Amino acid sequence: MLGLLLCLALMTLASLLFGAGDVGPAAAWSVLTGTGGEEARFVVESLRAPRTAVGIGVGMALGVAGALIQAAARNPLAEPGLLGVSAGSALAVAIALVLGASAATLRVSVAQLGALAGCLFVLAVARLNGVGGDPVRLVLAGAVLSGLLGALTSLILLVDQRSADEIRFWIVGSLAGRRLDDLQSMLPSLAAAGALTLAVARPLAALALGERVAVGLGHRPRLVRLLTVVAVALLVGAATAVAGPIAFVGLVVPFAARALAGPDIRRSLWLALPLGPILVLGADVLSRLLVAPSEMPLGVITALVGAPVLIAVVRAHRLPAV
Amino acid sequence: MKTRMLSLPQWRARRADAVPAPQGTWRLAARISGRDLSLLVDRRAALANLGLCLALAVVALLSLCLGSLPLDPRTALNGLLGQGDVMDVFVVQALRLPRLAAGLATGAAFALAGCLMQTLARNRLATPGIVGIDNGATAFAVASVIGVGTSLAPPPMALVGAATATAVTFALASDIGTRGYRFIVAGIGVGAVFGALTQLMMARVAIDAANAAYPWTVGSLNTRDASAVLWLSAGLLVAFVGAAGLSRAMTVLRFSDAVARGLGYRVKACRYLALAIAVGLTGLAVAVAGPVGLVALIGPEIARQLSSPRGVPLTASVLAGALVMTAADLTGRLLLAPIEVPVGIVTAIVGAPFLLWILLRPSSRFVS
Repeated sequence: MLGLLLCLALMTLASLLFGAGDVGPAAAWSVLTGTGGEEARFVVESLRAPRTAVGIGVGMALGVAGALIQAAARNPLAEPGLLGVSAGSALAVAIALVLGASAATLRVSVAQLGALAGCLFVLAVARLNGVGGDPVRLVLAGAVLSGLLGALTSLILLVDQRSADEIRFWIVGSLAGRRLDDLQSMLPSLAAAGALTLAVARPLAALALGERVAVGLGHRPRLVRLLTVVAVALLVGAATAVAGPIAFVGLVVPFAARALAGPDIRRSLWLALPLGPILVLGADVLSRLLVAPSEMPLGVITALVGAPVLIAVVRAHRLPAV
Repeated sequence: MKTRMLSLPQWRARRADAVPAPQGTWRLAARISGRDLSLLVDRRAALANLGLCLALAVVALLSLCLGSLPLDPRTALNGLLGQGDVMDVFVVQALRLPRLAAGLATGAAFALAGCLMQTLARNRLATPGIVGIDNGATAFAVASVIGVGTSLAPPPMALVGAATATAVTFALASDIGTRGYRFIVAGIGVGAVFGALTQLMMARVAIDAANAAYPWTVGSLNTRDASAVLWLSAGLLVAFVGAAGLSRAMTVLRFSDAVARGLGYRVKACRYLALAIAVGLTGLAVAVAGPVGLVALIGPEIARQLSSPRGVPLTASVLAGALVMTAADLTGRLLLAPIEVPVGIVTAIVGAPFLLWILLRPSSRFVS
């Protein structure tokens, strides 16, 4: 845990120091130590610092959401981005924009509604007879759902060019140009979801032992799953509203957390808190450096990191039980 | 002489009228230069192919007639022959006919590739689009379009990309796994990586180049390239002959490997050959229309519903794929005119619910 926090601090520093523009690490460092020029000060304080803060928020939300949905679906491959939850919020936001709503707070709640619908679909599929026992089939169904929702979003954007222009930089998943307001719009949801997560962590750990054990220990599996899904929707919706759909974070983070802390959900949830921001900030720094002086979408980097993890999980001879 | 005498009764028994045709088939018999030749035609498959041909002709005629300049069928057909008003002739011959041809060829290629892959993996979901071959071909073709370190034209680059993606997926999946699912999910991962690479390249080029390439990356017939269509047509001919040669082996491959081997087929060789055909077709088709992967799923599925379960419906898949592609393109052109909806989006919206239904039916038999 201490090591992870140190790692997170390093990543935050890197995110402040490196950029795609002219302000290099040395100039940024001088700003941090109190000296430094006008331009460097502006870049670091009003561009990189908010961006880093938003990255930390988004990373925490996506990492925790991944751990939660994996526990609720009892499937190590479940991931909000892969399963169509992020695509659901993206579609909801696109529809809201076309209908003329553009306020940031509204966008968050609309995205959460879309995410909730996506989550409920995932849970329904996971509970279907026959499919639930086969982790891989759930992923396949999710991939198909994402494709469908993505196609509908493209269709809407095609029809409404004005919204398309507004949404184009958001739909690819990126942290570029995010401000502190964006983080503020996330905060209430993050707090609510955090409270829910604390409430369901113990029952979820019991649920991992099987439905009957959980009932025997006095938990109510249906209620627990419902609350978990609401928490996931709050988290994914908020993160997607701010940063756009970013896939694979929710897969990689719980995978790493389980590798570090073992299968207990209560411990891997805590580890997900620093791991998510580490991944998102690291990917964001890479996205600025790889094609400097331009930037590339954050979702591309997380896909390049996450897809091999997906394959590794599938290749593992016996899928690890969650 | 003695052997001749012995073989005579058997030869008689095989004559056309001696044995009744099996149920559900027609026997076509002919005597050509003293030899009796006969052919068993599956009745249901023949009717299905005939019906698909008719439907295809109707949709093809519609797609020549309809558009921003509607023509009545007679004018369209006259235009096809180069008669009538100059404007009509131009619209039909220069605009709609090449697009129709591209649609027919890509649809046929995707569906044939899909049918072959489904059969060799024994899983209806194992189509090129789902296991990442489309994305690999797209990534390489985009690299060629925007000129990243290569001077090859899009079709050969798309071929290379399709082959690369397949090889990587196979290497990663190491074995096909139960019912091919491990292979499929490894393919989804590989597809995600190649999709990310495509986006990376699109992010690096100038905005107008990226805008020009965008419809193609979601799958559209609007940006087709004449030479790519030629490549595809040639490839399709070769592939169809090859697939027809494999059709018996494919029929047997639907059963277990042990059965196929026991019947004298070289299972591995058949599988690799079919896979090579499927990969080649997908690469060439992607070079024309971009990744319209769901046609590879819908086409064979329609074919399988219509044809008899006796064989692998390769011909019916080709026809159904061409039908789906042409109809989807026509819908995309008309739906929100004057805006054109790329055919990839139409097939995704129509095909995804269908795919989900296959996947989630409670009593589904997954193995084709």
